Amino acid sequence: MGKDKRFYNSTGKFLMTGNEALVRGCLESKINFIAAYPGTPTTDISETFSDLLAADPNLGEFITQHWAINEAVSISQAAGAAWTGARALAPMKHVGVNVASDALSVITLNGPNPGSLVLVVGSDPGSLGSHQEQNERFYGWMFNIPIIEPQTPQDCHDWIKIAFDVSQKHDIPIYFRTSTRSAHSRGFVNVNEIHLEKGNQVFVRDIPKYCSLPPHAINNHIRLYQRLEAVQQQIKTLHINSILPGDNKTGIITSGIPYGYTLEALNALNLNDVPVLKLGMIHPLDNGQIRDFAKDLDRVIIVEELEPFLEVKIGEILHKERVRAEVIGSQYFPKYGEFSIGLVASSLAKIFNVSTAGIAGQVTRAQEHFNQYAPIIPKRFPTFCAGCPERATLYAIRKATNELANTVVAGDIGCYVMSFFPPMETSDFIICMSGGLSAAIGIATQTKQNIIALIGDSTFLHTGMAPLADAVSNNSNITLIVFENNWVAMTGGQPVLGLTEGKLSIETITQAIGVKWVRVADPYKVDATVDLIRKARTEPGVKVIIIKRECMLQRSRARAGQIRRLEAGGKEVRKESYTIEACRMCGECFEKLACVAIRRTKDENNDTVMQIDEDRCNLCSVCYQLCPNNAVKKNIHNVCGEEVKI
Amino acid sequence: MWRGGEDLMVAAKVKGDHRIFNCVLAGTAGQGVITIKRLLEFAAQEAGYEECFGSEMHGLAQREGAISSHVRLQRIISPNPRENIQAPTICYGDADLVLGFEPVEVLRSGVFLAAKTKFVINDRTIQPILVNAGKEEYPSLEKIEEIVRGYTKDYIFLPATQLAIEQLGDAQKMNLIILGVAFGAGWIPHISIENCEKVICRELRDSDLNLRALNIGIEFGTRTISRNK
Repeated sequence: MGKDKRFYNSTGKFLMTGNEALVRGCLESKINFIAAYPGTPTTDISETFSDLLAADPNLGEFITQHWAINEAVSISQAAGAAWTGARALAPMKHVGVNVASDALSVITLNGPNPGSLVLVVGSDPGSLGSHQEQNERFYGWMFNIPIIEPQTPQDCHDWIKIAFDVSQKHDIPIYFRTSTRSAHSRGFVNVNEIHLEKGNQVFVRDIPKYCSLPPHAINNHIRLYQRLEAVQQQIKTLHINSILPGDNKTGIITSGIPYGYTLEALNALNLNDVPVLKLGMIHPLDNGQIRDFAKDLDRVIIVEELEPFLEVKIGEILHKERVRAEVIGSQYFPKYGEFSIGLVASSLAKIFNVSTAGIAGQVTRAQEHFNQYAPIIPKRFPTFCAGCPERATLYAIRKATNELANTVVAGDIGCYVMSFFPPMETSDFIICMSGGLSAAIGIATQTKQNIIALIGDSTFLHTGMAPLADAVSNNSNITLIVFENNWVAMTGGQPVLGLTEGKLSIETITQAIGVKWVRVADPYKVDATVDLIRKARTEPGVKVIIIKRECMLQRSRARAGQIRRLEAGGKEVRKESYTIEACRMCGECFEKLACVAIRRTKDENNDTVMQIDEDRCNLCSVCYQLCPNNAVKKNIHNVCGEEVKI
Repeated sequence: MWRGGEDLMVAAKVKGDHRIFNCVLAGTAGQGVITIKRLLEFAAQEAGYEECFGSEMHGLAQREGAISSHVRLQRIISPNPRENIQAPTICYGDADLVLGFEPVEVLRSGVFLAAKTKFVINDRTIQPILVNAGKEEYPSLEKIEEIVRGYTKDYIFLPATQLAIEQLGDAQKMNLIILGVAFGAGWIPHISIENCEKVICRELRDSDLNLRALNIGIEFGTRTISRNK
């Protein structure tokens, strides 16, 4: 892989996503260590580091990148590195902070010095790449962690350096809050010199600092208030808060991506006299700056996504400072979902009582016009790739249980999260990473129904081993199906720590935990898989079926490469294809299996028939095996050619 | 029929070189929507655009889902930050151009469309699973075209996937054909074809094939526009 000059050149203006800009900023601020469990929208931070390290082994002298097994491990790894004087980064998605929170609460008490620690949190208003949209900013209040929130890729680049410096100076972790939108937006970034430097590379004992138990826990708590206050005093010197002045008696305070929506909405509404305060640091707040901004105003509008956070704090500050401006926001803006320029413009038009003749009307008309034809747009749920081993397994589960009769299916987080979407509708509930198996244990105490829990290999290693040990100890009557596809597939195919390179084995782990009945199944052998799921039902206690097939997305890419190389070398490759002839439209393949390579179309007589798109089919042969009418035909070309396994 | 009256939108309010150009790219996962988005941005940089901001979607959207990306370009940054691009996504009814890699996905981006919007639309459908399962209907291409015509006459429907298969032997290249049509129609301001060719050679593997795809599109776009005049 060649070098990407955006991460090597000393100066220049480059197109970068927020995440890429953040990585570049880290390279300019002496970063030493990155630990992360994959999670949208932060995964590509670690991936970029991983690519850079692969392209330039010399970088490894200064920087180590780890895929961690979960977020509690990654944040603690990062803290450990910081305690040897390293500059450490722990990127995680918003729900990752829930997992990390136990460790984070103590790490914050201890402080990261002599090194520094920045926690990058990718929030997700609108739940664009997550199972929920929790407002994780409150962790900043709960643990007394300063939060910096960038808007543009340039902010990501510039402010990550500030985050490291503040962390270092004040012995406090910094919470660098991006969002799905800011992390995955791309824009111009002016870069500076790369700055690489090793940490102290030694741990120095300091029991009162690193052992936050009584009495040190209380002393560190006191010290934490002092550290947070010191950060608060320093805010104005960081120059990450900025004001656009204006004469209007109503002003706006906002931060991050909503600042952009606000400014464009104001321009569109011809309200360019409204003063706007953009907060780069959203916790703690610079009380003096808030007071001075609001003291001559009648109203202060807070524009923020999700639950009121700034609104609560700013209301409190203005009350204490005896500023009379009314604080408004959440009564005009939704407390859920993602904002947009259109949404902010509509709400501001109401607050400012702007007539609907201008943009406010235009926004409404665009929406109304769209609403006229929106009902004819078919839904396009995300679903499994063609040939996905998980789709084949879901089919086998439904077949083995006679369409889920008297069966409870515990879903979990991973690609198989999509199994609740129609037409499969297989999972009954989904909680969080490994929440499915845990809930299944509870269900098993109350019912004799057939309980099947789903879990991926990476999720199993993340937090699934503990509930499995619990289930074994309680002798819970559960069949656990582990998808061992070798990749963290949902986030785009990162290696499963330990598993992809063969250091760990799910089979050995589950047996060591004490599961007596462990079987391995190939989901592309439909009947055998169905039989195994049926058999598991008749066995007592915890049963584990390991579904062993590589993620088809990864496999098909590798396979295409193998075929290209063979053909380039003049070799013939044996090729298979599947076609449908004399289809009776029974629905087994297109409704129950619901493979995306099988398309509904019309034949020459204008009759509805199903057809397999050759360019999308990944040759798993599952539809060929399950068709009750033998309508799916297998064709082999170059019979004597080299075989490349699927 | 669109009854929005004249477009009074954000972009139209800012005059001259500070004007913002808004493009929506709509398709499904695996069609190369983000690749084309990035090419357009690189080409804009090559052409000297001072500001560029746009949104991509990663993660969940990869799984056969709908993809909508936005590209926003501004030739000269205004000294007044209130007139500049500040958000990575565009306002409702403010799209100048839609590149539709899949027909129904153009409608899914409908909230961004208005009378000023120009459209390039591939006619090859990718049916969602519920359509294949017989649980939902995919609207006819005639119906989709009728809705587009309700906004404007400036649209080009073309068999981009078919052209890509017939002329290039690679269905995926429909994405560069679509981009080429927009260039050929003159719907991408201030970016020359040379700018675009340069970034294709720099950023993509197999640049010969990709340049051919772009030029098939350019030719199609140019021909369609001159015929309509």
